[in-house]
Amino acid sequence: MNLEEYRTVFAAGSLVTMLIVAAPTLGLIVPFPTGMERFSEFWVLGPNHMAEDYPFNVRVNESYSVFVGVGNHMGVSSYYLVYVKFRNQTQPLPNATASEPSPLPPLYEYQAFVADGGTWEAPLTFRILEVSRNDDYMLIDRLSINDVVFVVNSSAVWDSEYKGFYYQLFLELWLYDVTLQSFKFHNRFVGIWLNMTG
Amino acid sequence: MSVRKFSFVLMMLLVFASQFYVSVTIAQVSESEASSVLTSAEGIVDSAYQAVLRAEEAGANVSDLLFQLDDAGELLAKAKVAYRLGDFDEVVRSASLCSDIGENVKNEADELRVETYGLRATSFWLTLAGSLVGVVAVGLGSFWGWRFFKKRYYERVLEMKPEIKSNES
Repeated sequence: MNLEEYRTVFAAGSLVTMLIVAAPTLGLIVPFPTGMERFSEFWVLGPNHMAEDYPFNVRVNESYSVFVGVGNHMGVSSYYLVYVKFRNQTQPLPNATASEPSPLPPLYEYQAFVADGGTWEAPLTFRILEVSRNDDYMLIDRLSINDVVFVVNSSAVWDSEYKGFYYQLFLELWLYDVTLQSFKFHNRFVGIWLNMTG
Repeated sequence: MSVRKFSFVLMMLLVFASQFYVSVTIAQVSESEASSVLTSAEGIVDSAYQAVLRAEEAGANVSDLLFQLDDAGELLAKAKVAYRLGDFDEVVRSASLCSDIGENVKNEADELRVETYGLRATSFWLTLAGSLVGVVAVGLGSFWGWRFFKKRYYERVLEMKPEIKSNES
């Protein structure tokens, strides 16, 4: 190697060393993209904390339990709202394509603050309290969720194809939007089908 | 009916009527009060959450504050459900407790943010100073190192003795 080549190697080595020495400060000033996808998880688990044994054939005055959970991967601590709604087969679910929640009024609700990377889980215990049945017509008058009683007056007709009176207990996930300073539907919902057997 | 009996009956009626009137008035006040307490609690929790976010952005560990906020959120949800069911006493009770926790969290988050900003500013200036000293040291070291190397290089070149080779075979 001649002197010019030595000088190039020396200059490059010095610059690399300077960058290494300045790296802690650069790390504080320059925002490096994390490349992480931001999303929230939303789930309902059965009574044994597993994705099985969900209540399906339900009877009056019997208690059923599931667990509702949220996982936060939004990059910051997030403020969630979970609405619990109840519907028959003909009433609308949320519209995932249009990111619109179900127009049905919420019965019960949860609010949770979850750290980034953290999860939140809560029990949901429900009981059908009062029903009236007339041949192929069923009316659920009242139900309780976590010991709070709600008047629902939800009717269902006999489903001859699947042999049952079907209802759905479903949950919508809403996320607090700091810019709007209000909750916004987070386009996630989960639910369990219930066959009211008597 | 004697005057005493009539007075007694009238008094009983008045007492009964006043109780009814008072209870109706309280119920009405409770509803408007419940609505106002609930709205206020929602605002307090919103601002507490925003304060926590600012503290988190400043680099503070906000896990304790989130636990407290979670309690506030639970109470707020309870109050909102109670409001929809018309249980205004429960609304006031839960929303008031929620507001207390929310206020506390907001204050703690603001303090934590200021504290963290201070610590981070000190840490930033120390890091910056360290990096500057390091860069200058590397620059000077490289400069003197290069000069030393160049000097040794020339010395080595000058110490070399030319060899003369003949082309004769």
